[in-house]
Amino acid sequence: MKKTVPVHVEKKATYCYQCVAGPDLLTVKVVDGVATEVEPNFAAADIHPGGGKVCVKAYGLVQKLYNPNRVRSPMKRSNPKKGRDQDPGFVPISWDEAFDTIAKKLLEIRAKGLTDESGYPRVAASFGGGGTPQSYMGTFPAFLGAWGAIDMGFGSGQGVKCTHSEHLYGEFWHRAFTVSPDTPLCEYVISCGANTEASGGVVGVWRHADARIRGMKRVQVEPHLSVTAACSSEWVPIKPKTDPAFLYALIHVMLFEHARERLDLDFLLRHTASPYLVGPHGFYLRDPQTRQPLLASTLEERVTREAIEIGADDEVLAQGMLEGETAFCKLLAHMKPYTPEWASNICDVPAATMRRIAGEYLDHAHIGETIVIDGMTLPFRPVAVALGKTVNNGWGGFECCWARTMLAALAGALEVPGGTLGTTVRLNRPLSERHESVKPGPDGFMAYPLNPTDKEHWNAKPNIRNAYRTLVPLAADGPWSQALGPTHFSWMFLGETPPGLPRVTYPELWFVYRTNPAISFWDTRQVGERMASFPFVVALAYTRDETNHFADILLPDQMDLESLQLIYIGGSKYIEQFWKNEGYALRQPVVAPRVDARDFSDIATELARRTGLLERYNASINRGTAGVPLKGEGWDFSLDTARAHSRDEIWDAVCRAASAELTEGKETHGLDWWKEHGLRVKPFPQSNWYLFPTLAAQGLRFELPYQERLWRVGQQLARRMHENDMQWWDNQLAEYQPLPVWKDFPKLWETELARIGGKPEDFPFWLLTSRSMQYAWGGNVGLQIIHEVAGNVAGHGGVIINAKRAEALGIADGDPVEIATPAKSVRAKAVLRQGIRPDTLLLIAQFDHWATPYAKDFGVPSMNSLVPMSMNLTDATGSGADVVRVSIKRTPRT
Amino acid sequence: MTRWVMIADLRRCVGCQTCTAACKHTNATPPEVQWRRVLDMEVGEYPEVKRVFVPVGCMHCADPPCMHVCPSTATRQRADGIVTIDYDLCIGCAYCAVACPYQARYKTDKAEFAYGEPMESEKKQFDPKRLGVATKCTFCSDRIDAGLAKGLKPGVDPEASPACVNSCIAQALHFGDIEDKASNVSQLLAENQFFRMHEELGTDPGFYYLWDKK
Repeated sequence: MKKTVPVHVEKKATYCYQCVAGPDLLTVKVVDGVATEVEPNFAAADIHPGGGKVCVKAYGLVQKLYNPNRVRSPMKRSNPKKGRDQDPGFVPISWDEAFDTIAKKLLEIRAKGLTDESGYPRVAASFGGGGTPQSYMGTFPAFLGAWGAIDMGFGSGQGVKCTHSEHLYGEFWHRAFTVSPDTPLCEYVISCGANTEASGGVVGVWRHADARIRGMKRVQVEPHLSVTAACSSEWVPIKPKTDPAFLYALIHVMLFEHARERLDLDFLLRHTASPYLVGPHGFYLRDPQTRQPLLASTLEERVTREAIEIGADDEVLAQGMLEGETAFCKLLAHMKPYTPEWASNICDVPAATMRRIAGEYLDHAHIGETIVIDGMTLPFRPVAVALGKTVNNGWGGFECCWARTMLAALAGALEVPGGTLGTTVRLNRPLSERHESVKPGPDGFMAYPLNPTDKEHWNAKPNIRNAYRTLVPLAADGPWSQALGPTHFSWMFLGETPPGLPRVTYPELWFVYRTNPAISFWDTRQVGERMASFPFVVALAYTRDETNHFADILLPDQMDLESLQLIYIGGSKYIEQFWKNEGYALRQPVVAPRVDARDFSDIATELARRTGLLERYNASINRGTAGVPLKGEGWDFSLDTARAHSRDEIWDAVCRAASAELTEGKETHGLDWWKEHGLRVKPFPQSNWYLFPTLAAQGLRFELPYQERLWRVGQQLARRMHENDMQWWDNQLAEYQPLPVWKDFPKLWETELARIGGKPEDFPFWLLTSRSMQYAWGGNVGLQIIHEVAGNVAGHGGVIINAKRAEALGIADGDPVEIATPAKSVRAKAVLRQGIRPDTLLLIAQFDHWATPYAKDFGVPSMNSLVPMSMNLTDATGSGADVVRVSIKRTPRT
Repeated sequence: MTRWVMIADLRRCVGCQTCTAACKHTNATPPEVQWRRVLDMEVGEYPEVKRVFVPVGCMHCADPPCMHVCPSTATRQRADGIVTIDYDLCIGCAYCAVACPYQARYKTDKAEFAYGEPMESEKKQFDPKRLGVATKCTFCSDRIDAGLAKGLKPGVDPEASPACVNSCIAQALHFGDIEDKASNVSQLLAENQFFRMHEELGTDPGFYYLWDKK
């Protein structure tokens, strides 16, 4: 092979949204029609809050394009038997045959009715997490919308792999589906496992690096020394799943060991529920006529007033002269026992350390100071608490989220410059605008679209298999809600449906795209076994993998650098992605497709055409399903609904509408302009980062500290379920409390261990996982370059164990080991490190592939193979935490 | 006079390996050849332990041991401090790889590709001259030279700067002329405490590590 001399070199602008911390804006160097290099789009340096830089994952895109292991044409299964041990016998077919086969199934289903005898949709669809597939699936959402009822609740990681409690409670308290410190202004961050340097994307890394140089102090509280702990001022190695105790102790110190004036008393009195009066039965005292809550004029007050107290189902619990005390008094009494000494025994952190951290937090809170942002004078409170995965999902997640939000409220650091911010909404509407989602609700708080729990409106019959509307009021009922329910129940209940729910059935057709639940969920073996019984699976397939191993049809869609889509960028969304600009960016083909793949928009259009849904499909695009409504004030680029349109026709119309929207109709640039320029933005005011002024303007308060509404909802839900002879959710119903009490959370995992036949002393290690920036969300596990560079980060090749503990067990670095639960075991290589607690093991990312080319040869396991899928380990929001008790022992070298 | 140097700010580096990947793209190095990479190191014992990420590669020493041991004069030094390898002269003896205290040199004897057979992108970038010879970080001298020819400033203008510096998502890597007192690198060194790796060996490396403010 000889060196070639380049003749024609060009750079094409596009984006990478392989992970939820995107999009990253980049250019691809194309030499004589061959893509060779990814570079940051330097033209975006001034508009992107991470300097326009590009994360390591994007550097895998060239290999992703040319990977010889790609599925090279549509395929059909020739072996009707499904199972991990079965060769699917995929054989190539034409696109015409593939479409014919799928359309025939869809039309058969449509003829029978969209839902089955249990009331569940006959068609299901699963997509990868965080909404990232939507940035690649073109107009497929319009097809889904045109189809009608679809079950999108078969989880592929949601709940156990996301910050689930934060999504639900965060959005309830401050429209914070995701939460972030106001890093550009913050001075002091307490981070319980928030792995920002691995999961915060380019913007997170960029901002925190700047903040460190500026002098921001971050205390990282977690069982192992993550890359984020490495970049923090201090590492506090806490015992797994005891974070609520740590956070409660901080609150205790602030309430009982510092002068009251060190708190933001004005914020608590005027902008929270602290002065609300609570009656003898635990509900708010209310005005007998208006039934509005009664408020005290100070924070700490006990009163006797003419009042009424109303119970869960509107029953009157008490009336007349009633004794009450403020919610703040309730808080004081509640937090009194949670001293640092108490917490120290639980979380293995010295009491003095907690006292110091609480004091430092107050020292940096700048109580009383203000800052001017966009001409608005706002409170300046540069302190924040961040929570990571496993801390803010599963049991204990509610307590941590409540404590975190309380810590912000005590310092007045909630939704103000420098403090703790919500950065996106996904359950309230409109999804794109946090501030517009703030509307007056009951009792002076924000409205929230809780799933109804009153007798008249409770959904006894679920609309999809995971029963989110029935079981999880906080999951709401919007486009994202199906994926925010207990998504593992869709898999679990296929085996045995609990009493009171219609028998859970297999979907007759399942679409799978950019997700691999046979690897990425908990109890992956059980998930795989269930999948093997799915009658008809259509997988959009890049390479063969562990999920499409069970597919009937493989459809290769054009990859990132081959396909086309316009997406919204900027504004305020996922964690650190709050920008000072908003607009749109184009993903465009930089080279011709390398295999017989089709753009997802063309696939969607063809499916719509062959199923007779073209008119509804086009109408859905016209309404804005492709990201921009095609008709606005002064422009109309609507598609003719009667005919099929090519990809470029559709996206040209979308581009024109986006141009018009950004320029108020002055410009209507089409696809060619966007291909040349790549992106366009307009300013997004920094003041929009902060929700506090919007609440204050509407006279609304943050619903803290007391949770009267949630307590009421929990009691209602308990009654509804018991009325329907459903007792199996009782443990979860206990989570609905007005003030969350500490429970022995680690004990829950020991109890589960006993249930499957193990003793805690025989399985003494907590097995955890941690984000790999190189891999997370990317679907890039089959890329050699990613494997190579990730190998430079400790732990990618095996299980991390404390060096001294390993020595005591006779385990040396690189030794083969077996990690086991009473039910299952996996093999790994030992990686000895100092930065991990002696009672903790760590398996980074999620591997254990057995079908994905290249990755199946790694020999690195995943905790997903060991974690049991369990009702007992499911909390009230329907999530579980990524943790399991295990043993480890050296095995003979082979 | 100009001397090009690189700076790694250890307070900023997060060990993400974006620079490693960017270098591999731009310089088309084969699998496991990393002219730029970031070490993931621990210091101390649990619980008093620190983890630190340290970018490494050729230090472009002012007094490079690799050059002194080179029997074929393939390894040389430019007037601007960049240490070069002339692949036409290199005989692949690997003396330089042994002499380098920074383990910065690689030698690949046969063509290797990510998946065995070369992909289109690998074919397009393949250079047979790199087989059987020593290779290492060039500070992207081709970019620097082309940038200077266009009147651009290395370390400031991306087109004239090393790929690893351009790619860094934490602004940990910097590049510039240490002889220019007004340059970005001179300013950073004036304002911060720094060290160079194995400075005691007298190699006068052109790679500086910042670790705290002055």
